Amino acid sequence: MGDGRPQLADLWPCFQGIIPAALSTCAQDGTPNVTFISQIHYVDPSHVAISHQFFNKTHRNVRENPSACAMMLDPRTLQAYRLYLHYQYSESSGRLFDSMSLQLQAIASHAGMTDVFRLRAADVYEVLRIDIVEGFTRLPPSPISERPSRLFVDQDLESLRLMAERLNRSEALSDLLDHSLELLDELFGFHHAMILLTDEPGGKLFTIASRGYPENGVGSEVGIGEGLIGMVARARRALRLSAIDHSLRYARAVRDCAQAAQGSEAACREIPLPGLARAAGQIAVPLVTRSRLVGVLAVESTEPLAFMSREDTILTIVATQLATSIDHLSRDTEESSPSAAAKPKSGRAAGQPSRGRHFCFFHQDDCMFVDGEYLIRNVPGRILWRLLTRQRDEGQREFTNRELRMDSWLGLPEIKDNLESRLILLRKRLEQKCPDVRLVPRGRGRFALETDVPVELAEKET
Amino acid sequence: MIPPQVFGLLQTGVSVIVGTRDSALMPESTRAWGIHIATDRASVTIFLTEAISQKTLQNLRENGLVAISCTRPTDHVACQLKGRLRTIRPAGQADRDHSKSWHRDFAGELVAIGVPPDLCEAWITEPALAIEIDVTDVFHQTPGPGAGEKV
Repeated sequence: MGDGRPQLADLWPCFQGIIPAALSTCAQDGTPNVTFISQIHYVDPSHVAISHQFFNKTHRNVRENPSACAMMLDPRTLQAYRLYLHYQYSESSGRLFDSMSLQLQAIASHAGMTDVFRLRAADVYEVLRIDIVEGFTRLPPSPISERPSRLFVDQDLESLRLMAERLNRSEALSDLLDHSLELLDELFGFHHAMILLTDEPGGKLFTIASRGYPENGVGSEVGIGEGLIGMVARARRALRLSAIDHSLRYARAVRDCAQAAQGSEAACREIPLPGLARAAGQIAVPLVTRSRLVGVLAVESTEPLAFMSREDTILTIVATQLATSIDHLSRDTEESSPSAAAKPKSGRAAGQPSRGRHFCFFHQDDCMFVDGEYLIRNVPGRILWRLLTRQRDEGQREFTNRELRMDSWLGLPEIKDNLESRLILLRKRLEQKCPDVRLVPRGRGRFALETDVPVELAEKET
Repeated sequence: MIPPQVFGLLQTGVSVIVGTRDSALMPESTRAWGIHIATDRASVTIFLTEAISQKTLQNLRENGLVAISCTRPTDHVACQLKGRLRTIRPAGQADRDHSKSWHRDFAGELVAIGVPPDLCEAWITEPALAIEIDVTDVFHQTPGPGAGEKV
């Protein structure tokens, strides 16, 4: 009420549908029209929505002449307000429409009128001006401070709801991971984020998904207790570093320089962790479910003041759901019947000459190289070797998680084998380093090994 | 000429809202404190207070075009009258009696749907102007598939 005019949100009692609003419009020929509107819906601080159910002169008028005027009453005191409106657009799908439609259907169903009442569209209007109408009621106006915040959902809360709903729909671990990073970016502005999962036998964390980095870093490892992410994993507490000082950046620069001197990752058999060279703020949150650490969610920003308590809180809430969902989807081992074989898509860029791929497996450290470059190691390395040799020796192209679990050479632990996350890791490393050899899901617990080029295999002890 | 079924409706405690527009076709909404049908059934008188209806009165003086929607709160039966201004004058004793009678019926309707009685007495309905309108068209406005049809 800075300039003496109320804000739209101050009119919250008028949006409860207790007293109908009077809405007037005008046809292009100058004929006025006035009608009662049972409820005007608050959309955001400068927009309202009006339902369109039947043939409706209002709906037609505003398409010719977008101006409208609504008179609304506060049901507690009869304080009147005039809203001068400008029709903007109409929605017949989406969140606003769905929530208005559901409300209407519930009322219609209550009245046994389901077939008659049906929301055709939600017409959205911009609020140009709000006038307080003096001289309408003898009752004193209610103070603005009585506005209960529970009637207006905070944008972050709304985004958390949206995120919870979307994550809850994820059917597979890979969808869950990709969706969560996408939504953290789009809904909350975490543009640089990664998820690491625990690798229990090794006591390490490995990156399974990332977003907003030039190299996705999938497969990179962090020891428990090492760096921000490793320390968060050990302490199982979220940690935020704001305005990371010069020394930390200096340390990172030293590391980058040392890595450059060592040459490519082929030589060091390590994948670098994704990271922003000029990160000024970081948050890492442990993913814990039923007192068990399943991984770490980490975000970065180049803005020193990008991360505050709000960001900690949001990530902590998201991490709770993410941890439970990761745990749930990792355990889901039930096989579905094979889905129709997807048409093999070529990973080769158009015009690129066909050439073979040379895979070499090092038995001593379970390391797989492709064309002389480090690809992957440990269990995912052994899995890939098994798949490639089965294909070469027996012509097998389709595999099930079940047969991998029964294969003692792979060394998967009997309980909590993380097989699903290891397959995602392997799939993503192949996409990145060798796109013409692919693992393609074929329904739950099944996948195919597809190759577009001749594959040559070699093995060495060291 | 106001048809019989609308005539009956307008003699009950209907909620009366008024729509006008200015020369730029910007609409204006207000509430009227009652409606009274003339004996010839070709015109109606509505009661407006200057305090809340300044712009409406200005629009009426400028172009005379008006839409009046009357809805009975207990059953949502509604109609819309389109018309043109005949006169604006200060409400006389007969007008005040009509407005008071309407107010009693309207309050009865509201109490019937659960509105606290003291709220029904909170409106400032005087001093009022009596606005005589020649009715040119009458439309059904009861919510449902027939809404918008001419009576």
